[in-house]
Amino acid sequence: MKHILFTVGLLGLLVAPLAWSTDWQSAPEVSVLNFAPSYEGLPINGEFSEFSVSYTTGKDGQPKALTVSVLVASADLGNRDLNTEIRAADWFNIADFPRAIFSCQKFTQDEKGNVLAHGDLQIKGYSRPVTVPFSWQTSSTGQALMKGDLALGRNHFFIGSDEWASGNQIGLAVKVQFDVVLNSVNASL
Amino acid sequence: MGIENTSQQWGWLSKVLHWLTALVIFIQIPLGFYAESLRLSPLKMDVFVWHKSLGMLVFLLLIIRLLWRIKATIPQSLSAGKTQKRLSQAVHWLLYGLMVMLPISGWITSSAANIPIKLFWLIPLPALVGPDDALKSLAAQFHEISVCVLLTVLILHIGAAMRHHLLLQDNTIKRMWF
Repeated sequence: MKHILFTVGLLGLLVAPLAWSTDWQSAPEVSVLNFAPSYEGLPINGEFSEFSVSYTTGKDGQPKALTVSVLVASADLGNRDLNTEIRAADWFNIADFPRAIFSCQKFTQDEKGNVLAHGDLQIKGYSRPVTVPFSWQTSSTGQALMKGDLALGRNHFFIGSDEWASGNQIGLAVKVQFDVVLNSVNASL
Repeated sequence: MGIENTSQQWGWLSKVLHWLTALVIFIQIPLGFYAESLRLSPLKMDVFVWHKSLGMLVFLLLIIRLLWRIKATIPQSLSAGKTQKRLSQAVHWLLYGLMVMLPISGWITSSAANIPIKLFWLIPLPALVGPDDALKSLAAQFHEISVCVLLTVLILHIGAAMRHHLLLQDNTIKRMWF
């Protein structure tokens, strides 16, 4: 019996570092997700006011899983007419696709130490592989900061189709920038 | 014909500035109404680039005119009587004022609407204010009212010039022509 308990205990000690994980959840009131399409090469700054980020790290702090869910209807370009337009079928088609989701379980690092999340981004019913770079800083208070930016091709998701598809006036590249505060919600085996 | 004005005659620079401004304004007004009538589309955005570019061109021409006006001689007014002279001066200064207020209110409208401006697809202008729907509506209303005032003042200006030319048969138009 002693041998069995000893063996189980030893196995537990060996496996624990591998299985231990921390779940992080974004704090909406202090997190920002900005996006900036361009008009004649100049940015139109906008934001998504409703989104959530769920992130899991291993005991060594290494990333294990990331899910970002964005309520597309919360997009705000600071202009009532534009906000109406981007909700329409030619653009985000929020009636049929109210959410954009990024999910990822494969991570690498760049030379600056930033995390590169290689996942799939689903917008408007189209799923495309996307790499999201971000920096990750934890604090002793149980909070962490996730910051990054990237450029997405709106044409890859057929956002702004038909007469807007050329990218002549509204550029095809859309800059995305995020500054997310996360709280650790639990640590588990 | 020299570049300088004399007490009797406008010089060529004043004439060029006057007629160029007139030409741009006469393109600009219908262009603005046309742009506003279009639904949001690439065409509308292109027409607005022209409208904003020409509007700022009017503003630039006005600055040159005012600078030139400080330096240059102003030909004597051909209007008879104090009231006519004062009315004529008031109309001219009102025109100058509108040529300032219209581009600036348009610029504020565009900035408050969070739409960047790139003149003639080449020259970016900074935003005067941040995105603000209420300010956008206010500036747009001011812009529209200013256009109506401009049309009225232009009718007065052209009507007075025609009166000088056809009824009084003086040199008011002739001395502004080439």
